Amino acid sequence: MAEMDVMLDAVCLAARLVLENGGETYRAEETVEHMCRGFGMPKVDVLALPTGLTLTLAAGDGETAHTRLVRVRSRATNLARLDACNTVSRQVAKGQLTPDAALAALRNIQKTPPPKALFSVLFGALSAAFFCVMLGGKLEDFIVSLLCGLMIHGAMPLYNRCRIPAMLGGLLSGFLTAQLALLCNLIYPIHLEPTISGAVLPLLSGLATTNAIRDTIKGDLVSGSARITEAVLTAVLLAVGICIALSMWGGNI
Amino acid sequence: MDWIVPIASCALAAFFVALLLNQPKNTLLHSALIAGAGYAVFMLLGQGTLGYFCATLFIGIACEVCARLMKKIATLFITSALIPLVPGVGLYNTMRHLVQGNFSSAVSCGTDTLMGICAIALGITFSTIIFSNIRRKEKRAA
Repeated sequence: MAEMDVMLDAVCLAARLVLENGGETYRAEETVEHMCRGFGMPKVDVLALPTGLTLTLAAGDGETAHTRLVRVRSRATNLARLDACNTVSRQVAKGQLTPDAALAALRNIQKTPPPKALFSVLFGALSAAFFCVMLGGKLEDFIVSLLCGLMIHGAMPLYNRCRIPAMLGGLLSGFLTAQLALLCNLIYPIHLEPTISGAVLPLLSGLATTNAIRDTIKGDLVSGSARITEAVLTAVLLAVGICIALSMWGGNI
Repeated sequence: MDWIVPIASCALAAFFVALLLNQPKNTLLHSALIAGAGYAVFMLLGQGTLGYFCATLFIGIACEVCARLMKKIATLFITSALIPLVPGVGLYNTMRHLVQGNFSSAVSCGTDTLMGICAIALGITFSTIIFSNIRRKEKRAA
């Protein structure tokens, strides 16, 4: 019985790691199925949603069933964790890891520290600046969107501390970006279009939109529509933020 | 030489996005190069809906191939390689037209943006379908 608990813990933790670190729902479901097969428990039913996961595992005796529910509250993208989790689930599927070893490995992954805030700010700002150049920005636009990027990525830990939901954070980011760009435009004329859209592009998470439509086409209707809501709302709130800032400056830019 | 600046900056931008998303170190270069090449395809095909579709199809296939070769999941590569293609300018322009009260330009610009997003989704879906079929054939053969 105890072994069953360890097994369920390991499977649930793996699924949680996949969902919390930017994995798709079908990947969480596949992870659960592969791991259960690796543990010799092929009779499993699993339903993964962007906000949670539930699984039912039929025990070997064919009479008892075990059900677990996992609630996923925070969703970020940390691809290194996703990769490490995938490695563990591959090893389990091949039967190379015992439930205890798998659980220990997964707990280690969970403990890996997130990337340093300073680096995130720097990388976010640099990507914003290069997106601006890609969209046709010149040197002055590069500098302004670098500043915008530094500001919005620097403000993100602040949103977390003040418990501002991620969506509302997007609105604030759009607003601040447009304000700073318009302010810089006053001092030295820049190209607003590439500057603003380049600066907010790393936040847009086009992947959310793409994954949403892909999930829906695949037939995962619930997680597809949940993700469409998320993607559309993120984009709209970002745009509304820009919109408010633009209209404060008269709107005729 | 007009094309080299956007393509190079696209690759660099994708590289920094990959760093931002904490992508494993040994996959950074691959996804940056794929992103640059994908943007080149997009520019060659005239930056329209067809361009979005073909560029995404190319990125999807390249990422799946990389994932197979390195025994990693394709999501690692796709996430950062795809972000430069997202029509951010379209979204910004749609909103700007709305603020200025040019509703007809807002609708046409918004429709273009939506078409672009749908084309990207279709491209990535096709590449996944192609590769999941190959995987099934491999399993049957084994």
